[in-house]
Amino acid sequence: MTRIDQLVVSAVPGDAITTAALELQPLLAQMGPSGLYARYIHPDMEHRFEFPEARAALDPTGRDRDVIVYHASIGEPTLRDVLLRGPERLVVNYHNVSPAEVFRPFDAEFAGRLEAGREEVAVLAGRAVLALANSAYSAAELTAVGYKRVRVAPLLPDWQRLLSASVPTEVQHRVDTFAEGPVVLFVGQLLPHKRPDFLVQTAHVLTTYLRGDARLVLVGAARLPRYEQTVRTTVAELNLDRYVELTGAVTDAELAAWYRRADVFFSASEHEGLGIPLIEAMAFDVPVVARDRAAVPETVGDAALLLPGSGSCLLAAEAINRVLADRTLRTGMIERGRARLADFDPARSRATFRDQLTELVG
Amino acid sequence: MSSSPDETPDVDALVDRLRSTVEARRKEGLYPAGLEDDLDAHFRRVAAHRVETDLSRLDELVERVRSLPGLSTERIPLASDLPGGASLHRALARLTDRQIQGVLEQVQEAVSVLQSVVGELADALRRPNTHLHTDLVGQVDALQERLAALERQPVDAPGGLAEIGRRLERLEAAEARRRFRPPFRWEAFDAEFRGSAEEIKTRYTDLVPLLADAGPVLDIGCGRGEFLELLGEAGIVGRGIELDPELARDASERGLDVEVGDGLEVLAGQPDGSLGGLVLIQVIEHLAPQQLVELVTLAVDKVRPGGKVVIETPNPQSLYIFARAFYLDPTHHAPIHPLYLRFLFEQAGFSAAELRWRSPPPAAEVLAPVGDEQHDANVERVNQVLFAPQDYALIATR
Repeated sequence: MTRIDQLVVSAVPGDAITTAALELQPLLAQMGPSGLYARYIHPDMEHRFEFPEARAALDPTGRDRDVIVYHASIGEPTLRDVLLRGPERLVVNYHNVSPAEVFRPFDAEFAGRLEAGREEVAVLAGRAVLALANSAYSAAELTAVGYKRVRVAPLLPDWQRLLSASVPTEVQHRVDTFAEGPVVLFVGQLLPHKRPDFLVQTAHVLTTYLRGDARLVLVGAARLPRYEQTVRTTVAELNLDRYVELTGAVTDAELAAWYRRADVFFSASEHEGLGIPLIEAMAFDVPVVARDRAAVPETVGDAALLLPGSGSCLLAAEAINRVLADRTLRTGMIERGRARLADFDPARSRATFRDQLTELVG
Repeated sequence: MSSSPDETPDVDALVDRLRSTVEARRKEGLYPAGLEDDLDAHFRRVAAHRVETDLSRLDELVERVRSLPGLSTERIPLASDLPGGASLHRALARLTDRQIQGVLEQVQEAVSVLQSVVGELADALRRPNTHLHTDLVGQVDALQERLAALERQPVDAPGGLAEIGRRLERLEAAEARRRFRPPFRWEAFDAEFRGSAEEIKTRYTDLVPLLADAGPVLDIGCGRGEFLELLGEAGIVGRGIELDPELARDASERGLDVEVGDGLEVLAGQPDGSLGGLVLIQVIEHLAPQQLVELVTLAVDKVRPGGKVVIETPNPQSLYIFARAFYLDPTHHAPIHPLYLRFLFEQAGFSAAELRWRSPPPAAEVLAPVGDEQHDANVERVNQVLFAPQDYALIATR
């Protein structure tokens, strides 16, 4: 019977790709034997994942009928060889890879791994019988490096769970009383391609010249200490300590509390394979202002106020100011956001993903 | 400008309008020119400064140099594969040992020097000030750019300096219009309503003995200087402060020590404990409540222990003054109640504060008794309210 196995580089709790693989697993199990494999396994994931070597012990007959769904991310040379030489049919699931260049000044080693990740995706093009991308934007990248059969099938996290997360009263109270004025929210890791510098500059313009009572809140883990320091120093030197909050990593309850408190969601990100926080913001009825970059436009559709990527922080501040002040505009954005959510049903997205595999396996 | 929630908005049109708003605000001067470029330059500089020299391998390098083994001929193997080769090596070693040892010592010396130099260089690299230096230069750059941005901010911007200046000018003009600028000379006013110099001197003669040992005396609001003259005649050193330049000049011309100025300011400038006496005759009714409090507070500091403060002012317990003298002077602020004044001085720490009633209304004005006991008792009560003494003096001892 045809096996469909999933392979990831690192199995880590809370990691987006690990979570996607885990959530997909029950659907694949319905189709036949299916396992989860990873090169690096966090102790808490040992009961779910096995090392790739374990697959070698399986019955060797009919291996060329088997399918490996490889979740590509940062480069992993040891896996690349396994994938290139193995007899199985290879399906590459592409969640996109952050651009290496912007990381180089802050963490050259990490930048190198991102670059290796892109190279790896290109190298695997000839071997893959199918590529599944998380957005049309990502799909175009795959086609450009030579993939023949490319489909858009995002594996969406269960944002509905976040929507109904139970938030302890004291957490919601702390977030609600954080400031009297409107809260401009961004959710995402504090990394260069998310452009927290642009967010801070926009906050500077907004709070200095337009809305003195507004606050910017950046929710998300800081992965590069040196970059975090740069952002914090920028905030301090612009005298924005009172106006800009960097929360760092938060729990789901805190994240839900911030979405509930937010008056507008603002993304300046240069690069998103698929902007999950944009979907979450729409789910929480938060109007979205975003720069027109990467997969952002296809994620928000007509629900967001999209700003040209070349627009300045002055334009962004004016846009946020308008959305905060114009009730009719806000209402329309929120309603279109709700309508947009219909395209992002997590269960349906997984079913689509499975159907693509079914078609392949026959 | 808003859109209906039912229809998909024209985002491009909205963005165009926002762009126009940005440009309009730039023209107005709300946004300083080059703001976004300044912000970008600032971020780039902050980011560049955080890229520091990587010192992680420094310790390892220093250790490698430090742990170089000592130089010794013993580390040169003498063994040989040739027959008799070892003996030959040993013989050669013995022959050249002195020269080789001499060279080794020199090399060892040089290595020691280099080892210590490498150690010091490493210490210098680790010392934060070498980084601090580049950081400081960058921060100075940053400050200069921000200063430049501030200077570029047009002075005509709303809330800018020019507007603040204009508002200040308007406030000052309004304040100037409110300031009392009489079309007459105070000398003439005093002559008309306060009586001649001689009359005044007669009225205040009785206060002079209170200040017998109280020199030097400061007379605030001394007017034409009549009381200073009385002090001089009694051999008491006194000087005066007068707000009105003409009155002050008149007093000075008569040889009195009088300066033009604000009494409270001059009093504040006196050394503590330097005054034996402080006199304010018909002055405190011109002061605002807080100025009076300030006066008393200053008096505690400036009058030496045992010194006297003598204040004379209209008595609001006499309704007669309101019909006659009090409102004659348009610069009177409010009469001060005698009990309040005494209370102020007692609270401030004066050891004694005594009230004396002065200037009873002319006998002809006071209601006269008619002989009926009941009626005359009523007349007396009316007289007490209507015709109480027109002034009072407070004599406080520090």
